[in-house]
Amino acid sequence: MAKKKLLIALAGNANVGKSVIFNYLTGLHQHIGNWPGKTVEKAEGTLHFKGYIIDIVDLPGIYSLSTYSMEELISRRYIAVEKPDVVINVIDASVLERNLYFTLQLMELETPMIIALNQMDIANRKGIRIDVKKLEKLLGVPVIPTIAIKGVGIFQLLEKAIEIVEKKHIVKHVPVKFGEEVEEKILKLTKMVENIQFQYPPRYTAIKLLEGDEEIEREISRLNPEIVTTAKKLIEEIEKLHGHSCSTVIVAERYEIAGRIAREVQMLVPPIKPRLEERLHNLTTHKVAGYIIMAFLLLSIFYSIFTLGGYVSDLLNSLFYDIEPLFYNFFGVGVTGKLLWSMIEGIIAGITIVLPYIIPLYIILGLLEDSGYLSRSAFLMDNVMHKMGLHGKAFIPLLLGYGCSVPACLGCRIMETQRERLLAIFVITLVPCASRTVIILGLVGKYLGVQWALMLYIFNLVVIIILGRLAFKTLPGEPTALIMEMHDYKWPHLKTVLKQTWFRIFEFIKIGFPLIVIGSFIIKLLEVLDLIRPITLALSPITVTWLGLPMITGIVLIFGVLRKELMLVMLAALLETTDFTNVPDFGPIQMFVFTLVSMFYIPCIATIAALIKEIGWGRTLLITIFEILFAILLGGLTFRILTLTSII
Amino acid sequence: MEKSIVPLTTLKDGETGIITSIRAEYSRGKKRRRWGVEKRLIDMGLTPGTKVTVIKSAPFHGPLEILVRGSRLALGRGIAEKIFVEVGK
Repeated sequence: MAKKKLLIALAGNANVGKSVIFNYLTGLHQHIGNWPGKTVEKAEGTLHFKGYIIDIVDLPGIYSLSTYSMEELISRRYIAVEKPDVVINVIDASVLERNLYFTLQLMELETPMIIALNQMDIANRKGIRIDVKKLEKLLGVPVIPTIAIKGVGIFQLLEKAIEIVEKKHIVKHVPVKFGEEVEEKILKLTKMVENIQFQYPPRYTAIKLLEGDEEIEREISRLNPEIVTTAKKLIEEIEKLHGHSCSTVIVAERYEIAGRIAREVQMLVPPIKPRLEERLHNLTTHKVAGYIIMAFLLLSIFYSIFTLGGYVSDLLNSLFYDIEPLFYNFFGVGVTGKLLWSMIEGIIAGITIVLPYIIPLYIILGLLEDSGYLSRSAFLMDNVMHKMGLHGKAFIPLLLGYGCSVPACLGCRIMETQRERLLAIFVITLVPCASRTVIILGLVGKYLGVQWALMLYIFNLVVIIILGRLAFKTLPGEPTALIMEMHDYKWPHLKTVLKQTWFRIFEFIKIGFPLIVIGSFIIKLLEVLDLIRPITLALSPITVTWLGLPMITGIVLIFGVLRKELMLVMLAALLETTDFTNVPDFGPIQMFVFTLVSMFYIPCIATIAALIKEIGWGRTLLITIFEILFAILLGGLTFRILTLTSII
Repeated sequence: MEKSIVPLTTLKDGETGIITSIRAEYSRGKKRRRWGVEKRLIDMGLTPGTKVTVIKSAPFHGPLEILVRGSRLALGRGIAEKIFVEVGK
């Protein structure tokens, strides 16, 4: 007998333990990619259970099913159009009211569902007792108490899901009933909507029309504009009656229902002394201690990753380059050998940044997010981040950017809207990563003095603020604003973080490695074909005439696209000296200009791969071209200013 | 007891108010943008009639930490200024 297939979707607020449940269910049979044509993450997996092949989709963590963000839109379309057999609504037992608000919206979508009442342990510690049977009765939805991080209740969830499907019992939720005036208008609209074929259930459509939902309004007006006209009239009536916008009235009533249910099912036994989580929260958001802890935490993270990462990276490098002679012995030092080696070099380059830097930085970001620290740092840094058109949540990714742009860009996932994500990513590509720091300190810092290096960092910050603001003004969409839940501190679930890191980095490798290999192959090919000289010659109007740099820097800038940390080494090789004090045509001004250009001119190839993964080809190309032109413009102007003023 | 309506940002640490309205400025052509933030706020439970307690605010005009509907939220100062609450004097 062929196995029966089942589709289950996980839905719920952010940070309720959805991904922990997802990881429990799917183990290593999962795939993290993007929703088709969108830059929103989609996690899918499969498992076998009681003769079923169950596909599980982890929908994005959201608070509502309106159209505030792409995530919300995707989630509700998925539930309405793909019609999963069961939706498991994961809710946080310790913040019941807010979570039930989302549950009510899922119920409006009339989908078969189960509630996983998660984080029961946290709720217990907070002194919240929940009457599960009563909750089940009030909602008309099966409720399974779970403690996902311990695997408690996961099995029962699956059993219940199968029971629902096998019994084919049409889910009879207790309908979500609004206040009399609103309810009457919903019924009136529902009758009209029932006559047309539409992807969403009629009652849901009617409610959303009254809430002024743009997507649904647009589509309904195409099918029957009369309905929209009626809806507008009803909206006006409600607004006249209540003095608030109709959507506010509906949301408020929905929250009232959620609040009423929460109050009915929970019993509060507040703990006598403040809990550890509470004290930790107060300490880490304190106006003085908070900043000290943050600085200490972040510095130690950076320090350990860079000492450890540097060590591992060097080790790997020497290990790989040990095989170089062997390789040439085997393939010969001819054109084929060189070209083949260049591809291996590409892979080496990839491994030596992914293993020691990208993976640890990414894991740490995951732990910071999962534990709840990320939202505290966002709280502390919000107004600073506003200066560059971002909000607090972008702070940690931005900071990671000083280490390596790749995990920083990938980490922008934590931003809520696409616009915020794009802005943060753009700003991060401008932040000098560790490789660029090598150039700044090794050239300007060493030969011009630390004060000039420091000046470059400050200048970089100024540029970031200006460009960030400009991008913020030009990009259409929602203005940036911090509206963020600070959930209780909890132990991060290491296994989930590790698995997510692995699957996400794997996605990055799939794009990144081919790009890096092709990149090194092309550059080697140019070298083999003796095209490097002609190209630098062709670039000389820019490098020599406009930027005032020696012609050979053209080569360095080209190679720098592959690995920026090697630019200085290459410069030394080409200038045939490691001491740059007395190189003709490469004085202090040139050093400064060269470093400045290196700082901005192009994201390295691994970063480009990360950008493609996160924001697509088009925007990646746009950012790349912009940064090339910007760096050239800035470099040329700086060269002229420095020559005229002779301050260096 | 005298009551007054003030922006949420004027509340001192530990003070509680009841939301009366959210007044994101209205300017022509930007209707959609305004709607988005307002919608997001009410979706997070900041509906008129709701009790909000300001726990503290981050230094240097940073965001506000508030308690609403049993959960803890951080609100950027810019939008917190647009939320009006009723407080008893």
